[in-house]
Amino acid sequence: MTPADPTPPAVPVDPAALAEALDTAARAARPLPGGGSGLTTTAEAYTVQEALLARRFARGERPTGVKLGFTSAAKMRQMGVSDLIHGRLTDRMEIPDGGRCDVSGLIHPRIEPEIAFLLGAVLTPGGDPAAAVAAVAPALEVIDSRYDGFRFSLPEVIADNTSAAGYALGPWTPAGALGGLRSLADLGVVLEVDGRPAETGSTAAILGDPLRALAAAARLAGPLAAGTVVLAGAATAAVPLPPGTYVRATVARLGSVGLTTGEGS
Amino acid sequence: MTTNRNDPAVRDAAERLDRAWRSGVPCAPVRDLLPGGDLDAAYAVQSLLTGRRLAEGRRITGWKVGLTSPAVQRQLGVDTPDFGALFDDTAVPDGAELPWGAVLQPKAEAEVALVLEHDLPHERHTVADVIRATAFALPAVEVVGSRIRDWDITAVDTVADNASSGAYVLGTRPVPLRDLDLRTAGMVLERRGEPVSTGAGVACLGHPLHAAVWLADTLVRLGTPLRAGDTVLTGALGPMAAVAPGDVLEARIDGLGSVRAAFGPAAAEGDPR
Repeated sequence: MTPADPTPPAVPVDPAALAEALDTAARAARPLPGGGSGLTTTAEAYTVQEALLARRFARGERPTGVKLGFTSAAKMRQMGVSDLIHGRLTDRMEIPDGGRCDVSGLIHPRIEPEIAFLLGAVLTPGGDPAAAVAAVAPALEVIDSRYDGFRFSLPEVIADNTSAAGYALGPWTPAGALGGLRSLADLGVVLEVDGRPAETGSTAAILGDPLRALAAAARLAGPLAAGTVVLAGAATAAVPLPPGTYVRATVARLGSVGLTTGEGS
Repeated sequence: MTTNRNDPAVRDAAERLDRAWRSGVPCAPVRDLLPGGDLDAAYAVQSLLTGRRLAEGRRITGWKVGLTSPAVQRQLGVDTPDFGALFDDTAVPDGAELPWGAVLQPKAEAEVALVLEHDLPHERHTVADVIRATAFALPAVEVVGSRIRDWDITAVDTVADNASSGAYVLGTRPVPLRDLDLRTAGMVLERRGEPVSTGAGVACLGHPLHAAVWLADTLVRLGTPLRAGDTVLTGALGPMAAVAPGDVLEARIDGLGSVRAAFGPAAAEGDPR
């Protein structure tokens, strides 16, 4: 744990310094105190997020997609916020379906069930999200705020790449096999921990329809290229992800995706 | 049946198993009490115990077929399956927690369950008779258990002990037989996402329906034919899997879907087990 800095940060904020602090916190698994960044606007926050990702891209990570945050009422309640936000996914964050997520390098990981879209065509802001989707999959997202106790301001969580830490994708179902993407609006979702249901919900919790989240992704993050993966947001509240755990998300009609955190100590 | 339920040896064996069942403390094998290798005597013990369960207010919901794998038959030195009764209080809902200790020395098997809509009253049945009598199939987990210490069983011991029946969990999505190829249907039993037992329909006497035919014929011979409404657990599609307190085992059978057996935490301190 990093002790709280008694002196307030310099104003105006230095995006590069904040990005470095977040990057270091993630790599050392040492959380920063939340609430002290001096960030006040989401525009500033996204500048920090971009600087953070630029550091990671410079180390060889490759972008794979976009994620949305705070898309469900449950999530908004849990985090005490009300705005939709987005972050970036990279290849280093992907966990194979059925594979292992090493949580020893994480601070206080949590996991949540989602659905993922794979774009088959570019999706421009204001474009038709349904027309751009090639396939849909059940997904798990591992989140791990770089702020102590998951306590942060809205700009701070944006700067922290929306707490993103990892993701796993289940089998892709081609959009054409779903009989219209509107059928995704109310699919049952169950998150099981060691075989027992931990959270249950519906894809309707994702802005009422996950396609709205996809449209929001294009609006917030700019044109999304074909091949982009979009994590549409959590369908239930997140649960802690300790070592020695097997977690599986099952989404009606789409199937399941699972991961393990290996053996407990 | 050549051995009477009132035979003292039969009554002694039943008494030993009943005491283990009631106390939760496994007992010594009963083969020393019964004539060597006498399956009739063993079924007489089972019948006596089934009678006691019924007298206590239970209802028979169906039957299980056991010893359906050639490997297990060889191991126990028999060339025939066996059967036991299923009772209403041993049916566990999908995913519901079975208290640890409810079944002695539990293990799990994934099976195909058949639910009948017609009686099977003939002296000899065909696969066609069984297909016509079956309303639908369900995936099932059978929680087998042994009242005999350390599963130290011969065929006589397991038959006397209700074919090592413990509890059973049925899936909830009925599938008509016409939609299934049960011979090559794959089975996987998973614990925390890892397979602990795998197999296929062919492992069960060549086909799960063969086990049902054997059971139908056998029960007619014993005077308790299969009836409409009965559930038949046709036998394991792969090796028995060990279970530990707190485990959740999920069985998936191709075409039939999935079903989960969940086990409660370990018994409190002071429990004799």
